Amino acid sequence: MPLHKVSIRIDGEYVEAREGQTILEVARAAGKYIPTLCYLAGVSPSGACRLCVVEVSGVGRLLPSCTTAVQDGMSVTTNSEKLARYRRMVLEFLLTERNHYCSVCVSNGHCELQSMAAKLGVTHVRYPYTYPALPVDVSHPRFVLDHNRCILCTRCVRVCDEVEGAHVWDIASRGIRSMLVSELNKPWGESKSCTSCGKCVQACPTGALAEKGWAVEEMTKSHENISRLAVKRGVRV
Amino acid sequence: MRIQDLSSYNAVRQAGLDKLLPQKPRIAVGMGTCGTGNGAEGVFHAFADEIGQRGLDVQLARVGCFGFCAQEPLVNVWLPGRPLVVLRRVQPNDVPRILDDLYLGRITESLALCKIEEWDHLTGQIHYGRGYPDIPLWNEIPFFRGQKKIVLRNCGLIAADDIEEYIAVGGYQSLYKVLIDGTPDAAIEQIKAAKLRGRGGAGYPTGLKWEALRKAKEEPKYLICNADEGDPGAYMNRNEIESDPHSLLEGMIIGGYLTGAHEGIIYVRAEYPLAVHRLSRAIEQAKQYGVLGENILGRGFNFNISLVEGAGAFVCGEETALIASLEGHAGRPRPRPPFPAQKGLYGKPTNINNVETWYNIAPIIAKGAAWFNETGSSKSPGTKVFSLVGKVNNTGLIEMPLGTPLKTFVYDVGGGGINGRQIKAVQTGGPSGGCIPQDMFDTPVDYETLAKLGSIMGSGGMVVMDEDNCMVDVARYFIEFTHSESCGKCVPCRVGLDKALKILNAFTDGKGTEADLDSLDELGRMIRDMSLCGLGQTAPNPVLTTMRHFRHEFEDHIRANRCRAGVCENLALSPCENSCPLHMNIPRFLQLYKEDRLEEAFESVVMDNPLPASTGRVCQHPCEDRCRRTNLDSAINIRDVHRYIADSIYASDRYPAMIERILARKLAPTGKKVGIVGAGPAGLACAFYLSLLGHEATIYDSNAAAGGMLRYALPEYRLPEHVLDKEIELIERLGVKFVFNTTVGRDLSLDELEAQYDAVFLAMGTWKEASARLPGIELRGVMPALGFLEAVSKGEKVNLGKRVAVIGGGNSAIDSARTALRMGAEVTVIYRRERKDMPAIKEEVEAAEAEGANFVYLAAPHRIVGTTDGRVKAIEVVKTRLGEFDTSGRRKPVPTEEIQVFKCDTVILAIGERVDDALPRASGLKLTDSGTIAADRYTLQTSRPKVYAGGDVISGAANVVNAMGYGKKAARLIDQHLMEDKRIAKLSRKWEYDQTPPASPSKEPRQLPGQLDPLERVKSFAEVTTGLTALQVLHEAERCLRCDVKANGD
Amino acid sequence: MKKVKVATVWLDGCSGCHMSFLDIDEAIAAVAQKIDLVYGPLVDAQEFPEDVDLVLVEGAVSSQEDLAKIQLIRERSKYLVALGDCAVTSNVPAMRNAFPVRKLLDRVYVEGAEQNPGVPADGVPKLLKRAVPVHEAVKVDLHVPGCPPAAGTILYVLSELLEGRMPDLSSKVRFG
Repeated sequence: MPLHKVSIRIDGEYVEAREGQTILEVARAAGKYIPTLCYLAGVSPSGACRLCVVEVSGVGRLLPSCTTAVQDGMSVTTNSEKLARYRRMVLEFLLTERNHYCSVCVSNGHCELQSMAAKLGVTHVRYPYTYPALPVDVSHPRFVLDHNRCILCTRCVRVCDEVEGAHVWDIASRGIRSMLVSELNKPWGESKSCTSCGKCVQACPTGALAEKGWAVEEMTKSHENISRLAVKRGVRV
Repeated sequence: MRIQDLSSYNAVRQAGLDKLLPQKPRIAVGMGTCGTGNGAEGVFHAFADEIGQRGLDVQLARVGCFGFCAQEPLVNVWLPGRPLVVLRRVQPNDVPRILDDLYLGRITESLALCKIEEWDHLTGQIHYGRGYPDIPLWNEIPFFRGQKKIVLRNCGLIAADDIEEYIAVGGYQSLYKVLIDGTPDAAIEQIKAAKLRGRGGAGYPTGLKWEALRKAKEEPKYLICNADEGDPGAYMNRNEIESDPHSLLEGMIIGGYLTGAHEGIIYVRAEYPLAVHRLSRAIEQAKQYGVLGENILGRGFNFNISLVEGAGAFVCGEETALIASLEGHAGRPRPRPPFPAQKGLYGKPTNINNVETWYNIAPIIAKGAAWFNETGSSKSPGTKVFSLVGKVNNTGLIEMPLGTPLKTFVYDVGGGGINGRQIKAVQTGGPSGGCIPQDMFDTPVDYETLAKLGSIMGSGGMVVMDEDNCMVDVARYFIEFTHSESCGKCVPCRVGLDKALKILNAFTDGKGTEADLDSLDELGRMIRDMSLCGLGQTAPNPVLTTMRHFRHEFEDHIRANRCRAGVCENLALSPCENSCPLHMNIPRFLQLYKEDRLEEAFESVVMDNPLPASTGRVCQHPCEDRCRRTNLDSAINIRDVHRYIADSIYASDRYPAMIERILARKLAPTGKKVGIVGAGPAGLACAFYLSLLGHEATIYDSNAAAGGMLRYALPEYRLPEHVLDKEIELIERLGVKFVFNTTVGRDLSLDELEAQYDAVFLAMGTWKEASARLPGIELRGVMPALGFLEAVSKGEKVNLGKRVAVIGGGNSAIDSARTALRMGAEVTVIYRRERKDMPAIKEEVEAAEAEGANFVYLAAPHRIVGTTDGRVKAIEVVKTRLGEFDTSGRRKPVPTEEIQVFKCDTVILAIGERVDDALPRASGLKLTDSGTIAADRYTLQTSRPKVYAGGDVISGAANVVNAMGYGKKAARLIDQHLMEDKRIAKLSRKWEYDQTPPASPSKEPRQLPGQLDPLERVKSFAEVTTGLTALQVLHEAERCLRCDVKANGD
Repeated sequence: MKKVKVATVWLDGCSGCHMSFLDIDEAIAAVAQKIDLVYGPLVDAQEFPEDVDLVLVEGAVSSQEDLAKIQLIRERSKYLVALGDCAVTSNVPAMRNAFPVRKLLDRVYVEGAEQNPGVPADGVPKLLKRAVPVHEAVKVDLHVPGCPPAAGTILYVLSELLEGRMPDLSSKVRFG
């Protein structure tokens, strides 16, 4: 089915797009920057981290660009004083919600939360830190799950479900008590469904999921591979 | 039997009518969850047993709830040909009596709430009959008067589990009409023309939603009824389903036919077992009768309805989360668009409506869009069901036309505040809504107006709050709720609410800062703008609205560590202490007395309140109004207890020793000097504490003695002079200097005082009579109340003549009346509102009545008539009637045409006192719009920084204890400012006394003081109240519930 | 020209930020021309002087002593810079924060001791319930995160401040 062409304006500039694309896809293709954390090309968007919200003229609410489809004639603003302030608050929330000690984290230097904070100008956090006592799951022979670093973006959940087809991960409980769990809240190492493919580790934006025994410099991740894999398996990109 | 055509429909209908209006008496017990919670089950069984035993031919039925929850259990009693009578608060032991009466062809009128002669079920009419002239019609009683029952048309009148009774009142006729006579397009047009909007709270037009689903091409299509009612305090949907399940089914079946859906799902809370039970039974019956399932009404249309019980997650009220839950996932929402009409359940087109929306469908089909538009406002026609709960007399489920002003809900239907308490706000929309302050009660309740005020209609929860509710705590409560109900998917709601809750907890603990207030505001806006779904987007509403409308309460918590409502435990000792402007530690002196430690009890009392015997006689006693004992029997007589403690020390030889004991508590001299203007209660209290703190206090007063209003306005029979003198003795002994017969502003300027002292405290009170524009006011014999009382107390001769008219209803009106009675006059008090609205102390009004004063209510002065030589001859009053409620929650008196004339020789005007503005104007002090001196709420500083003000001079005319509270506060603040340290705590000592609350308090009457006989006492100025006896005081002390003892944290 | 009075402070940290400061190498000569280093681990002064123009604070606020110190420092300093992650986020010192102090000390000094088990009490400052970033204790004028902040960043911050300009740190610094 041929898709209709539409054109929208992003920060004043006209951009061509196909009907059904999201604002984020169109913006990225046009070289416009919109910050994201929970978005992962290759798996379904979640709209949870709210970093990618944009202003659309004529719409009272802020809209997540990762899930909002373009419409012909739409005019999008990707940055404003308010958006910048709100996005910084999102990062401040995440930095205080759990224990992010960058200097001793395996992902120091290649963590998306860390680099996003730097990029958006978060030099300190105005809210009190919560310092929750959280476990580290080292039961898996190859990988480690450190809840202290988890930002609940569900990229691992989606990549495991949609690309690997195993659905090892999900979120248990709700609100501030939400926790990433493997299978029915069993230690990861006891999971029967985990194929140990490591896609979740590659998808994880922070040091929450990592390879055991890897040094900081080695623990780089690449999700381009996941996107490619997703295409092969027929998942929409 | 299956309904196939009109004749089979009519046959079922007749069967139902035979049950509803049988050839014998019918008794129907209201058995919704609210009724059974109040004992309806027991009442039903009592009826069943008794009817069985007596072998009576009576039909007994279970119906739903008629809505007046405060009067449950409700029982409908009907005798053929007579009106249906609703009995209220029926208990099992009433049953024999009711049946006795019934046997004699009578109704138990003492239990009757109202009667119904005919009822419009909208789809059909029922005529019960006429009679019982003494029982009011249902819509004549205030609770129902403003209501219009569309949604609740059948509730409480038909058996909830009998489809035949539903059909008897025209049920499934609308389905018949649509299926047989109509076309789907025309019917959808009708819903659109009716402008029906979603009753779940967002208010989206139902017709447009349905049209979108009808046009959607994918199959299958789903209809969902959202019955996941989860707001605290809201139970509309539960009651609708429990009382009338078929109306919901009919609405959905019609919806299915109109939109092309063949499957309906009702998502209902598992916590509503009765609703689930009745719905399952209704679905079964509907299938049996051929109105649901295959080949409905024989027209080839198939529609099935299934029930899904939700596990009670609040977020599942959000439609995308509800869909996720139905699909078997965790209840977490997803962003819209795509909307459910495009991609809903299992990715198919879906329409979700709230329970109540479906209930409007059958009536609209039956009576048409134009009829529907007659009710409500033009943008939002129809009605909305609300659960009116909280601090009103009449709680219950009410159905009001949209656009009805809020005050109608609160005062007319709700019957106003409990125990006459002042209502402060209404919270609408539950955790997603906001608080609307009392001064905005003119607001019409509709979608747009509420949204403008930062609230929402929501599903219809309406919680009324009075002065006992702390708005900071209310905000905290709702954030705690949404915090624990947040699904955790999006960051702003998951983490932001956690941050907001921490700040609010700090506020209620007295640990907040002003920076936190700004931070909370920023958090609220961010969570609102950034959250993924409705839960997060609306969760900040309770905080943002309370911060907007009740900012002073937040500031009280932060800046003064005060919770005026006494809700925040860390900020108040007990309700009595918290409401006392002097913050007397009342439980402590009661306990000390109980332990037979009179001297220490006196020490405790006098250190908290330097005029304990005077206030023990004349205090307005806010402490007693808040006493928790009221919930058990009646308030502790706190005022008379501290009067007794003080009186017995003053009368004993222990007083000199007690004075020494107090003097020993004095701190070392500081060398600081404070000038005080006014030797009334505020000035005396301030001087007392300043002296104790080591400062030198000098009081200036225009009169020749100290006491102010206590001496010159309060009559001798209430407060004898010698009592006051005794108390002032202690203040003098502390070293306070008095400069009498000196008026600051005339004899001495404020500049001079400022130069002489380190700080100045203005406490001149309100001594100027408010001006009245009344013809004849210049006549001889017209006098202001204060002037009259002052002259009498100074022993000046006042000629009243034979008859005196007193205008007003405050304390000075009653004081004037009782004084005039003692001077031998006939007294008539004229007040423009009703007796219960009088601001005077209740006991004083009662005393005046006993002494023979004549009271004329609902009358306002119109003109004073004079003789030719300029003396008062009579007063003309215009009768008033009570109009609409004003912002004080009282009905506004509206003048009528009726004039009455009272002959009199003297008219005493007691219509209020004002600040004499000569001094403030001369010294350039800023005044407020109401003519009081402008002073900072928290520092009491005036526009001149060295000058503080307190008491009536900043609050307007109030009462003694209010003034003293200001005096005490001023002393603390002046000391803090002068010494740059918080030293007031240094005046307190450590007390050891028993901290055990009473184990199981039982009802014990409040002890009342002795009083002189009214006919005797009116002959002289002797003190009327003789006080409590020692034993009575012990009784009162023992009645204390010890609210000050906090439970251990573990 | 009057020299700017600069102090450096080492609270609960590893001194890495001070090392990084020294890593500005020869540039320190130019900086030294403009400043008077009046207090800190690099100089001898015993008491924090009055009227300090600029203070660089390394480390989190972990003990009663830290708290008293930083409050005095704040009172006596015009411009306070939180230097490095421990000062800005409380970082590694905060890793104890999820545990009650009592338990923590027992674990280290009683359970973990090979000889003479016992929590030291004399001459050791009392730990606060939590190690907190400097801005939770006193007002901070500028935050320079990093573990440690790069020498170049420190030099940039110093140079800008000495020129009376507000350093623009957006996108120049990161945590860790």
